Amino acid sequence: MMHYKVMEDMSIMEKLGILTDAAKYDVACTSSGVDRRGDGKGIGNTAAGGICHSFSADGRCISLLKILFTNECIYDCKYCINRRSNDVVRTSFTPDEVCELTMSFYKRNYIEGLFLSSGILYNPDFTMELIYQTLYKLRREHRFQGYIHVKAIPGADPLLIQKAGFLADRMSVNLELPTAEGLSRLAPNKHRKNILAPMRQIQNGIKSNKNEIVLYKNAPRFVSAGQSTQLIVGATPENDYQLMTVAENLYEKFELKRVFYSAFVNVNEDKELPALPGGPPLLREHRLYQADWLLRFYGFKAGELLSEEKPNFNILLDPKADWALRHLELFPVEVNRADYQVLLRIPGIGVKSAQRIVTARRNGFLGFDDLKKLGVVLKRALYFITCNGKMMYNTKIEEDYITRNLLSVKEKLPFDKDGITYKQLSLFDDMSFSMQPDVTDTHKAVLGQL
Amino acid sequence: MEEKYLVCEDSLEGIFTGIYEAYSLKEDHNHLHIQIGEEENLRLFASYTGIIPDSGKAVKVSRTINKELGEETYMCICRALASEDRDKGEAVYKTVVCGLHMKNGRQVMGNLANPYVHKVFELSRSTNNEVLHLKGFLRFQELESGILFAKIGPKNNIVTFLAPHFADRLPLLNFIIYDEIRGLFVVHPASKQWYLVTNTDLDPNIIQNYSEEETKYQELFKYFCHKIAIKERKNLKLQRNMLPLRFQEYMVEFW
Ligand code: SF4
Repeated sequence: MMHYKVMEDMSIMEKLGILTDAAKYDVACTSSGVDRRGDGKGIGNTAAGGICHSFSADGRCISLLKILFTNECIYDCKYCINRRSNDVVRTSFTPDEVCELTMSFYKRNYIEGLFLSSGILYNPDFTMELIYQTLYKLRREHRFQGYIHVKAIPGADPLLIQKAGFLADRMSVNLELPTAEGLSRLAPNKHRKNILAPMRQIQNGIKSNKNEIVLYKNAPRFVSAGQSTQLIVGATPENDYQLMTVAENLYEKFELKRVFYSAFVNVNEDKELPALPGGPPLLREHRLYQADWLLRFYGFKAGELLSEEKPNFNILLDPKADWALRHLELFPVEVNRADYQVLLRIPGIGVKSAQRIVTARRNGFLGFDDLKKLGVVLKRALYFITCNGKMMYNTKIEEDYITRNLLSVKEKLPFDKDGITYKQLSLFDDMSFSMQPDVTDTHKAVLGQL
Repeated sequence: MEEKYLVCEDSLEGIFTGIYEAYSLKEDHNHLHIQIGEEENLRLFASYTGIIPDSGKAVKVSRTINKELGEETYMCICRALASEDRDKGEAVYKTVVCGLHMKNGRQVMGNLANPYVHKVFELSRSTNNEVLHLKGFLRFQELESGILFAKIGPKNNIVTFLAPHFADRLPLLNFIIYDEIRGLFVVHPASKQWYLVTNTDLDPNIIQNYSEEETKYQELFKYFCHKIAIKERKNLKLQRNMLPLRFQEYMVEFW
């Protein structure tokens, strides 16, 4: 094996600073997807909903020790701070250093586990081998049973990726740009097929592992918290419809657990990249997360929300209200009778409140007061529902009228138009009313940056 | 009819004993009430009876709840009773009454149109939220002796809900979680069962100086938290909303 130069003279503090700085733009930081109790012989367990351990000054959840193994890189992706052509201080951890940080942070309850990503040192295999060694030490020598999210390096030997997958809870390969043209323009060394190949490999690995587990209960687990990816929003000219269609494909064809959206931050001030004087496109990112929830939990299809003719989300309205206003012929809905799937499509009713309605109406007819107790946001829902055949007030079912009224209830965004002020947490109606199945996700959904 | 108040101790045992006594009166539940603690705010035309906690009676009630209303409802009730709300006893009592009247008592918590059930639901949810928060926000510091020590100041009495989580997570380590509001300690000796002790039972010498390495890791973590934030997205209000100041007080990265 090749030897890489470990900066002996650099303190662990300096390394941590540099390699955290370089990792922070990767937005996937959930510790969710797998429930695993400790076996009593090591340290750690995992919770299906994930756990947030802190919040950084940008309001994002800190769940994992998110670092790069190295910020050295042979590639030159235009949007990336670690690209070869940038003149920045370079450093690398050793596997032991990563283990030491993870273990001492974990036992103090600072973190839920490790998120290890990396620039490409020498070549993909060399890098993946180092990542694998680190995971091996953590799991076998330190008996670490907490959460591990690791990157599969595109182009690395599939065998190495597979070995790492048996030690990790989640793996991800970032697609970064939604179209092949975008990718070749901004990441000239990356090729779409090189990114999709490990994704497919992990998907197949997860599938066959599920079969093995049915046969042998104690078969080792492969990427049991599933696979995720990230898309950068606003670095290239693709519209929301293209982004959502790609996301839908990733969920359906690659069975991804999560797609993350990252508002582009122009760190390199590259001529090829948009200047973004208004800061990163946070509102757009927020709308994409909302739509992503609609795909995953509300039974919507990308094609219902957007089309070639209307390729971008409404800035003023969330995608669900926007959809409802374009389908007024389906409303009002009788809350005491409508199917669960129909309830989910009513603005002001979220997953939890729809479930509660279905349970509660078994004990008798529900009135508007009851709906409130169940977490329904009446000031949004009232235009779309009846209780026992009656609407709450005498309101018209008319697009302009309802739009005006919905807009008069100020939408609670995690940031203001100037990108700073925080209003109040709420994304999908009852999100602040109850814990969703995935805590770390929820915190991020609230931010609109999941 | 005269309203009857059963005055119970603020504990699972106390309130469950109260429910047992209420049932043995065989009277209309609408006129029977459970009140916690002192006989304050005495009402006219009402009678007050002090209830002495009785573990035998309490166990019977907890068995009935588990059997008839299901384990999930039972956990919900336990979490509601860990809250600081003064009316929790009455809400739990009336929820039990409601559930035992239903054809399928296991569905009682779905009956949110009932105000008592709704109250139990809300209390349980808020306790649960605090437990979920502290699973993440609690911070251990390493003492010279190697023991991990965490101090918390929770709104609800939840230290016993946290203990199993950390016992499962850190089975081979010695740790202590201290609820400084209630003077309660969870003590977990390595590879053994955890137990609960009060202020008076604990030798204060256990909590002495911090280990040599402790400051180093605190500094490293602070630096990490600082570096991980994206300055173009800075949003302190959002941070405070997600992580209220009452938790920050106890967290090393905010010192
Ligand atoms: S491969 Fe591209 S995105 Fe990844 S570290 Fe290297 S330059 Fe950055």
